[in-house]
This record gives sequence, structure tokens and C-alpha cells, in this order.
Amino acid sequence: MKRKIKIGIAAAVAAAALAAFGGGTVRAANDLTPAQQKRQMFRRGAELWPIYCNTCHNARPGGEFSPTEWNMILMHMRTQANLPPQDANAILEYLKASR
Amino acid sequence: MRGLARCAVLVAAVIAFAAVAAMADDMSVASGASDPGGTQEQQIREIRQELEFLERRVDQLENENGRLKKANAELQKNTQNLQKSTTQQISALQSQASESSSPQNFFDAMNRFLGRYRFTLVGGAAGSYIYDRNSNTNTFALDMEPIILWQLSDNLLFEGTVEANLPAGGSADFQLPVADFQYFLNDYAELVMGIFDQPFGDWYEDQSPFWVNRFVTAPLPFNVNPLIPPTEIGVQLRGGFQWGEMGQVADYTVWSGNGPGYSNSTCGANTPPSPLPTCPSTAFVGDTLVGVNNIKLNTHTPSFGGRFRIYPLPADSDWGRLELGVSTYDGKWENGLWLTSWGVDFNYFRDNLQMRGEWIESYRQMPAGLGSDNRQGWYVQAGYFLTGLKAPLIPSAANQYIDRLEPLIRYSGINQRAAVLGNIITTPEIGFTGSPALYAPHAREVALGLDYWFAPSVVWQNELDLELPRAGGFYSDTGAPVGAYPNDRAFVSQFAVGF
Repeated sequence: MKRKIKIGIAAAVAAAALAAFGGGTVRAANDLTPAQQKRQMFRRGAELWPIYCNTCHNARPGGEFSPTEWNMILMHMRTQANLPPQDANAILEYLKASR
Repeated sequence: MRGLARCAVLVAAVIAFAAVAAMADDMSVASGASDPGGTQEQQIREIRQELEFLERRVDQLENENGRLKKANAELQKNTQNLQKSTTQQISALQSQASESSSPQNFFDAMNRFLGRYRFTLVGGAAGSYIYDRNSNTNTFALDMEPIILWQLSDNLLFEGTVEANLPAGGSADFQLPVADFQYFLNDYAELVMGIFDQPFGDWYEDQSPFWVNRFVTAPLPFNVNPLIPPTEIGVQLRGGFQWGEMGQVADYTVWSGNGPGYSNSTCGANTPPSPLPTCPSTAFVGDTLVGVNNIKLNTHTPSFGGRFRIYPLPADSDWGRLELGVSTYDGKWENGLWLTSWGVDFNYFRDNLQMRGEWIESYRQMPAGLGSDNRQGWYVQAGYFLTGLKAPLIPSAANQYIDRLEPLIRYSGINQRAAVLGNIITTPEIGFTGSPALYAPHAREVALGLDYWFAPSVVWQNELDLELPRAGGFYSDTGAPVGAYPNDRAFVSQFAVGF
């Protein structure tokens, strides 16, 4: 049993390390203006929204909730589905802007 | 311009002078030239005076023209300035008008008024009709599961879920499956503290809500006698990250909690199946895993769990979405006695097709003198939206209804040798707590479903449960095989909404 716990801890550490380095694969487009970055996030969110949401349930359109409610729901969904932050932010941007 | 005018005046003067000279010659001839020299000089002087007068007049006119030009230029300049300032004012007013009426500005204004951090209510509710042939059940049931989300800061969220149901044949029942704080440490790590859905596999966390589950009932491993506790009280560390192309992500969850709890055998406190078994002289210790609310003081060592999930396919590929996961959960259910479990799961969807499945294996150390408790559970299901399917020979008006249909099939099974009579629910119920298959310790069930989707989170679900003739094993109360209801049939219909 101790061995299993050790394996579990090692897996967690490996996952955390992978997260730290893996996160670097997505680079912020610093050379874009804020408006351009927002548009880019919107497009990315529009692409990811049906994919991430439909993984578990039917994707719900942005008009179903207010922007503040989407803030909370996306925080909740980040926990439920362990969404990566860039993708969660892009989906949030899309849902809030597509109302 | 001025030179031309002057030149014209001079030419006119010369012509006038010539004309006058000619006239003077004529006059002098006519007058007999009494004093011709004096008269001519007089005339010349007059002409010169005339010329000087004309020159002065031209100068006056030129000066006046210059003043007028200057005044005109000033007027033009003033007009341009006025136009410029007017344009700026109009632009400012237009900008102000559009800003004040934009949704973002309205949203900001509302936020300032209501406060930035607030709570919202989501969740689901379901009303169902249940028919079971063997138990002659013919009844309605109601279930509601509101989820309160309260954002306390940019990084902190509280989630509370209350489950209230009116089960068939019972009084109102309330449970608290989730009440926890979720704190985002950074982009890739989050801390969850409190009571939470067991992160083992996909079912408890992601598939259990009424409108999310494509079927009315849960698959057998997560049903009446689950192999893994549905909830846990403790702490989690979790997060997700992108490792490849867009959509190629992975996530992890590690947690520790109070551990599993088992209820004791209570032979006799139930409606026994037929044939009536004989209660053993000494009841087994902890035969059946405690259900949804696994909240009790646990003096054993805490439990440990881990889950890792990966999505190998890029989001923009045409290969669909594939999820692969592994989980483990281990904890002492009694002093020195461990429950060890592991599981694998998958989920795949592409266009109208969705498939998912899980396998769970658990091993429980038992007190001396009792046999080991080794259980397995699994399910695999598939569904297909008929959206876009233009069925031939069917009127086009009917296709709008066919588009909303989703036929489903699920096969699930458990090998659960330690099922006890006291924990077997003989009435099928929705959600976590029911399936007629649990009459049989070695159950195999085929569920056929047909969902009609009114909206993405509003569905009318119909399910037919077929218990396969594979009953067997034994109830641990008796230690002897008991014939269950291998060929039972149940029909469940449910209207579920997610709000």
C-alpha cells in the first residue's frame, strides 16, 4: 500500500512538473493590441466551446446566463473539468461576447 | 492683376489723350488759331489732372480690394475652425452616445450597482414515472438538485449542492453531496476543500446531473451499491494544462479524504426477496458501501486518490474528441483493513456520436474468517443524435422532431459478492439510488433509451431496462445463492431540466 501511495505522489509531482513546463506551449501574443487579443480569444473560444462543453453535456449558448454568472460558472467548470486556463478564458470571452 | 489694371488704365488714357489731341487740332483750325499754344497746354494739364485722378482712384480701388481679400481669408479661416470644432463635438457626442448604450457599459454599470462578487443558482430538477414489472411499481418521483455558486474573489469560489427528492414510496429525502471551497493557487493548480463528488472516474463528477446523464438511471457500478463512495470529505489538488496542439490537454487530481464507510448487515430490516433467506447468526461487518453522504467521523487513516486524464486529439482535427482516464482510490475501511480500487475510463464523441465507458476493480481486505471482497463493475454506452438525418418517406414537417431525438444503448454489469439484503432497494429510482438490476448480486443490465431534447438542457428521457438472465452469486447475509429476478423489466420516463 505504501508503494501505491508513493506512486500516487510521484504521479502528482510529475503532473505538476508537466503543467509547469507544458504551460509554456501556449504563448501570449504580446505584440497584439488589447482589442486584437480579445478578438483572437473570441475566435479561439468559439472553436473550443462546443468541443469542451460537449465532452460531458450539450453546450449551452452564451445567452442563457449573464456575464457575471458566466464568470462563476466557468470557475466551476474549470474545477469540474480541469480546464486549462487559456482555454477556459477563451471560452469565457466567447460566451460573454456572444450573448 | 494689379499691373494689368494699371496698364489698361494707361492705354485708355493714351487713347483719350490722342482723341483729345485730335479734337484740339480740329478746334484750333476752326478757331483760326488765335492762341493755339496756351489752349493746348491748358488741355494737357487738364488731361494730366484727369490721369492723376484716375491713378488715385485705381490705387483706392486696389487698396479696397486688398482689404476685402484679407477679410475674406479671415472669414474662410474662421469657417474652417468652426467646422473643425463642430466635427469634433459631433464625434465626441457620438462616441459618448455609443459608449453609454453598449452592453459592456451597461454590464459595468450593473456590476457597480450590484457588487462584483455575487452568487448564482444553477443545477437541475427532474420528475419521473417508474414502472417495474416484478415489484409491480407504478409511481411518480421527483428530484431537485440546486447548486449554489458563490464567487468570493477572483480566485475563490464556494459551491454548495443540496439534493432533495421525493422517492417512490418514501417521504422527502435531503442530502448534501457537495459543499466546498475552490481556490485557484495559480493557472495550473487548484485547491478544493470540503465535501465533494468523488473524482474517481467520470461518473460522479461529470455525468451524474439529471440533464447531463443521457439515461435516467445510473449504470450499475454507480448505482444502489456503488463500488466507490460517491462523495468524500477532504481536500483535493487539481489542475489542467495544454501539452500539444489546441485541445490536446491533460489534467490531474490528487486528493485525500475521510475514507470509505460500510454499513452493517441488517438482515430482516427490509423487504426480502423470494425465496426468503435465512438470516445468519452473526451479521457480516460492513457489507455494503455507504451511499451518497459518506460523512461520518472516521478514525482510520485517511483515504488517498489520484486521477489522470488526457485528451490526445487536437481540437481542430476531424478525428473527434477522445478522453482517456485512469483513477485509483485507497483507504482503510476498518483498522488495518484496506479498500483498494482502480479504474479506467474513456469518452469519445464525433459529430452526432457519443460513446463512453468505465471499468472499476476493487478489493477489500476482510476480517479473519471471512472471504475477500473482490468486486468489479463496468459500463459502456453509446448515443447518436438524429440531427440532420433526413429520413426518407417521412414528411419534412416530421423531421424537425426527429432532429431532436437521441437513441441510446448501455450495457453495464457488476460482480458484487457482498451485497446484503438490508441494502438492496427493491424499487427502481432515478439518479444514484436505483435500478432493478441490484436485485441480483451478479447483475447484467441492458438499458435502451430514447431522449427528446427540447433545448440543450431540457430533455424528456425514456429508458427501458432489461435484466439479463445472469443472476447468481449470493447475498452475504446468507452465504447461499439466492435467486433474484434475472428477467425483470422496468420502464422509466423522466423530464429533466438543467438551469
